[in-house]
Amino acid sequence: MSSPIKPTAEYAEKPLPEVQILTNRLLSADSTERVLNALDVIPNIRQINMTGESLPKTINNGPGKGHANNHTERKIIHVGNQEVELRYLVGGFYIEMDVESEEELDARLEEIKAACDATIEHGYTLQVGRYLKYKPTLHDYRSA
Amino acid sequence: MAYKRQFYPGNSVPAKNRRRYLDPKVKLKQLRDVSMDDVVRIMGHRNPGEDYKSIHPPIEEGKEPECPIRKLVVPIEGAKHGDRVRYIQFADSVYFAPISPYQRAWMYLSRYRGVDTGTLSGRQIIEVRERDLEVMAKEMIDNETFDPALTGIRGATVHGHSCRLDENGLMFDGWQRYVWDDEKKEVVYVKDQVAIPLDRKISVGKPSPLSDLRKRTTIFRADGVDMRDDKEVTMYGLRIHKLRTLGGYQPWKVKGE
Repeated sequence: MSSPIKPTAEYAEKPLPEVQILTNRLLSADSTERVLNALDVIPNIRQINMTGESLPKTINNGPGKGHANNHTERKIIHVGNQEVELRYLVGGFYIEMDVESEEELDARLEEIKAACDATIEHGYTLQVGRYLKYKPTLHDYRSA
Repeated sequence: MAYKRQFYPGNSVPAKNRRRYLDPKVKLKQLRDVSMDDVVRIMGHRNPGEDYKSIHPPIEEGKEPECPIRKLVVPIEGAKHGDRVRYIQFADSVYFAPISPYQRAWMYLSRYRGVDTGTLSGRQIIEVRERDLEVMAKEMIDNETFDPALTGIRGATVHGHSCRLDENGLMFDGWQRYVWDDEKKEVVYVKDQVAIPLDRKISVGKPSPLSDLRKRTTIFRADGVDMRDDKEVTMYGLRIHKLRTLGGYQPWKVKGE
């Protein structure tokens, strides 16, 4: 029996490899911009997701609730010719690789490592695996 | 029976530091001098120079009920004047902060009178009558239990003690109450403890280097001093665990332990 609900987006049919980069220190907005611009020129990158610690726009509780937070690292950065609004102090990158073979992946990994070594001052750990969902699972078919 | 007060077992560096911080006879080193007015500004309960608000008339004026305990206990200054109870809260990073919340609770109760304190995973609140609080807060910001980068003065939204440090080595703060002054190489408070902007910046000095913090910390860490390497501390923990378990489930076996 086919499912009545179809996933909203047609996604990659196979689990493409992802490169997980976790930095030893949380990066400032300027450093994040440098890392992304260094990664931006590497071919075969399908998408980059970032994680980190949330920086709220306003003070969200306590006596100062409602005041603007004015965090210096919550700002718009420029990657390639795109604007990216940062809402986090970034501490991790998940880079999805659109590669056909192991050799191609290895070659791109070397480039990614070189880009990170040049831009991440306090070091990082790098792993290859699959970290984000790439196909619908039971959770996507639950009733609201 | 003559009884000599004991504080904490062990011979490792964190164990010795715990003993030092807990022992009220040990005078803690003063590392910086933040002015009293600035401490008051960071706490944000009143403006410097403003009168203390009171919630009851001075004790000497009022008619206290006849009570032997009231006669026995000498009131602290704030209680004498009928001050409000106010608070200060510190968050301590897991990355070799000089002290951690649980030892703060022990230290507060060991060193001060008339305080109410509460421990949470990353932060420690202390509630006292206002004028006593200000004296205590200044002591705690000035002395060696405080590090500008790894200790935060945070009244609300304290998240950050277990996060990675930022590129300048400061503990994460989503509300950015303090910033790094790159010219002076100091940490500067720009908001009070509940993130209301301050009129002017307040410097709390230079952070200590990691080598120094490793000597000052009370935190056992796998990449510092492992608690299991201090046999006496381990045995003390195990003994408490054993006695509590027996006490709960087979109390007759506690005899002779």
